[in-house]
Amino acid sequence: MIVEGTYPLPGKPEAVWDLLMDPDVLAKAMPGTRTLTRTGPDRYEGTMAVGIGPITAAEFDLVITLTDVMRPESYTMLIDSKGRFGFARGAARVVLVAGGDGTALEYRADLQVGGKIAGLGQRLLDSVSRMMIRQGLEALQRELAARLG
Amino acid sequence: MKPPPFEYHSPTSLAEALAVLADRTDAKPLAGGQSLIPAMNFRLAAPAALVDLNRIDQLAGITESEGRIRIGAMTRHRAVERDGRIAARAPLLAEAMPHIAHPQIRSRGTIGGSLAHADPAAELPAVMVALDATLVLQDGAGERRIPATEFFTGLFATALRPGELVTAVEVPALAPRTGWAFDEFSRRHGDYALVGVAVMLSLRGQGRCDRVRIALLSVGDGPVLAGSAMETLQGTRPTPEAIREAAERAAREDIAPPSDIHASESYRRQLVRVLTRRALTRAAARAAGARP
Repeated sequence: MIVEGTYPLPGKPEAVWDLLMDPDVLAKAMPGTRTLTRTGPDRYEGTMAVGIGPITAAEFDLVITLTDVMRPESYTMLIDSKGRFGFARGAARVVLVAGGDGTALEYRADLQVGGKIAGLGQRLLDSVSRMMIRQGLEALQRELAARLG
Repeated sequence: MKPPPFEYHSPTSLAEALAVLADRTDAKPLAGGQSLIPAMNFRLAAPAALVDLNRIDQLAGITESEGRIRIGAMTRHRAVERDGRIAARAPLLAEAMPHIAHPQIRSRGTIGGSLAHADPAAELPAVMVALDATLVLQDGAGERRIPATEFFTGLFATALRPGELVTAVEVPALAPRTGWAFDEFSRRHGDYALVGVAVMLSLRGQGRCDRVRIALLSVGDGPVLAGSAMETLQGTRPTPEAIREAAERAAREDIAPPSDIHASESYRRQLVRVLTRRALTRAAARAAGARP
């Protein structure tokens, strides 16, 4: 499954970049994140709980590794999460483009989802991932606006 | 599979049910159980308690007054499907009912359950948006009424507050010179629709569209009102060209459909184009007095 798009963020790419590396800010961009800590130079670990509608929130263990890091332009997030209901893993390419007073965040995520959630929720995966990305980017925008004042 | 353990409450009055729901924030109301019980059996849903609404007689039944038809939340789909007043006064609803899953599911599933569940592929939310229906909600503090367009807020998300129940839905009775049409496409009958459309269309004096409502299902997080398609037809004669233009705008501008293993985004847009054209054509003919 591929999800891609562009989203406007306040602040210059350098400022956005530094905040995107902050686990507290990164956690805001991933709805349902309960904990997220930096465990290495380019590595974050945590847990998230995702529940949609009638589905009781299920906890997932989450590991994020950054590769191809080209500050302050682009990086790739390798995402690996698994929980009782299945797993999601893949890569998300993030590119920051300066424009006006702000930054355009371009993203392209290629995700594989498996296990029970994929078997039973196949028809909803695209809608759910788009909704989570939209909510995450909106939260990120608010967080950046608050921090960059 | 079997569900995880849960506490079971079986109230016989609405007041009693609302009291339990106010007390137990981890409880889920159980209506027909055609979505909740499978989710529990697959252990995707694990509510700590269920409040079974099936013994509350006052929640079921269809009544008509002052140009509005009120359908109690626990009215079974099958009862709506077979009701003569619904067929005569809310024919869009009657036309949509056979598309809901299979007869066995319709015999058990309820109208309130389907609306509260708010599945993006469900027929009834789109029908209620097309009809401009009103949802009647109640909690311990009292009753409130909310238009269907405001009730559906996202993917399986509604304006229901914790502890609040849908108690009824009210649909306006069919107005004069008004046509209707429901259509959907699924690969096998009874499967979730890849795309569906519900249309209400009223004509005025010179055969121009006075009021058009087009609601689409399975193309977004919830029912989607095709605003630019509706605008295209407003105040114009529903000629084949105008209908074609409206259907085109619905497919291009009004939706951002998902891609999944069942249908790609572009295939869903094509289905919207074709089904909206067919539904508008049928609704316009009915509004002009053609036999359905």
